[in-house]
Amino acid sequence: MDRLYDPSYAVMTVSSAPARPVEGASWRERLYYRAFVLPALAVVAFVVLIPLAMLVASSFVDQETGSTTARYYISSFASLFFMRTLGSTIAMALGVTVATILLALPLAYVLARHTLLRGFLIPVISVPRMLPFVVVGYAMVLLLAPYTGALNKALMEIGILSEPTFILFDWPGQALAFSYAGTVVAVAILTGVLMTVDPQLEDTAVTLGAGRLQAILTVTLPLCIPGIIAASALVFSMIVTAYSIPVMLNSRTPYMISVLIYNNLYSLQERHLAYAQTVIVSVLAMGMLVAGQLVLSRFGRRP
Amino acid sequence: MAFYVAAMIAILILPVLLVLAASFQGGLEASFGSRRWTLEAYRAIPPAYWDALWFTVRIAFCSTVLALLIAVLAAWGLVRGRLRERRLVSHLVVLPDAVPSITLGVALLGLFIPLGLSNSFTGTLLALTALSLSMGLRFAEALIGNVPEEMEQAAVTMGAGRFTAFVTVLLPVLAPGLTIAALFLFVHNLVAFELLLFISGPNATPISVRLFTDIVDRGVLPQAIAMSAILVYIAIAFYTLVVVTVGVRYVAGSALTRKG
Repeated sequence: MDRLYDPSYAVMTVSSAPARPVEGASWRERLYYRAFVLPALAVVAFVVLIPLAMLVASSFVDQETGSTTARYYISSFASLFFMRTLGSTIAMALGVTVATILLALPLAYVLARHTLLRGFLIPVISVPRMLPFVVVGYAMVLLLAPYTGALNKALMEIGILSEPTFILFDWPGQALAFSYAGTVVAVAILTGVLMTVDPQLEDTAVTLGAGRLQAILTVTLPLCIPGIIAASALVFSMIVTAYSIPVMLNSRTPYMISVLIYNNLYSLQERHLAYAQTVIVSVLAMGMLVAGQLVLSRFGRRP
Repeated sequence: MAFYVAAMIAILILPVLLVLAASFQGGLEASFGSRRWTLEAYRAIPPAYWDALWFTVRIAFCSTVLALLIAVLAAWGLVRGRLRERRLVSHLVVLPDAVPSITLGVALLGLFIPLGLSNSFTGTLLALTALSLSMGLRFAEALIGNVPEEMEQAAVTMGAGRFTAFVTVLLPVLAPGLTIAALFLFVHNLVAFELLLFISGPNATPISVRLFTDIVDRGVLPQAIAMSAILVYIAIAFYTLVVVTVGVRYVAGSALTRKG
């Protein structure tokens, strides 16, 4: 959109007015160019479209008899265990998403307003974004493990704890691991979003008598809501489908949906049930992303 | 406020520092006190880990080259041919990003097992190529869109074919931008996990999957911590390169992050 207001772009568009009429491009000519798009389409078809179509189709086919059935969906939704797992997954994802955004926003604000600080810190705190989730898991073990973990040892040395806590292998351990992974992503995205908000707007509010905090809350924050929603959707869908961290940190409590799917697929050999449950989770995760996009398009384009 | 910022930075960096510290302290626990510093954990890295890392580097390299090749051709066709299906293609190509990795992994397993592509270099290569296409196409479209078409048209008026003009005139102009794109794609492919977990096997084990199966089967091992530290060095090297070549601005607002 910005390019429309960029004078150099306007000049370029005028000078590079197509030598041949756009609509007049012949059928043969388009076919020539289309040929170059084919490899990309072939890869997407073979690696994405066909497998996904097969996944959805198989989830409606009975594994034993081969007849069409919706029983895998029905039995999933009727199963108390599945619904509880889904519930705890969503609860975990929602809680962590909210905590992540709240933790990341103030830091992102500071980074967005201080260029020097940002130039130095953003690359440093971005390092975990380019680590496999597995490495984040190892880091969490080193931090939180009951006897060898750095946190437990430090707390016991100071005397706050008399014996180690076992939070690593429970809800708090996973929540901390997810919050860490989520915060790292959210800080970077929200910094970018906040950078697009003109600081002069906030300054204007301050000169008109608002406090700095009030100006942030009533002027800057509302302008960032689309970006915040986008970041939340990303973090939420990341957690709902995360597999490595739940398994690395005790896959029993809380039982996450991805673990359930993996067990159905491999241990229990209930492949088609696993397919149906994968479809359910995907609809949930992608639904959040699409909802985020819809909100974005409603409130205007991403600033 | 300053305290909050310092605390947040410390919290965000601490886990990574712990991995680095532990890797130099025998690998099983980390402390910043008086423990002796040693390279034992690094020496304990078994050949299987180096094999997995080498496999990951090879597959990331090949998939990056393949994805960029396909993406540049497609972007050229879409931009220069002014094809009306440009939006549709962009939407299709972005699918592997939008679909959760675990879903795509389960789906690929269903297709690849009958074809004999699971647990193979080719299968992993295809999966990573598809995953890289969206970013590659976005880079390539933006790069080609910024180059005036006259440059190629001049070559065509002098008798070159359109494709010759593309290869000899446009590609050299795009080369620096494509190199940066390749850097991003390469690191993304290096750290992919959930997509590959399902289609990996003894013949095709990326390092992230190897580290994962080891902690599940055998618990925390010193050599796994050392290998994690090596992955941290790779991430640090990546960000250093990005900051040096394109500047910090690119890191700040970008939503580019590991997939799965």
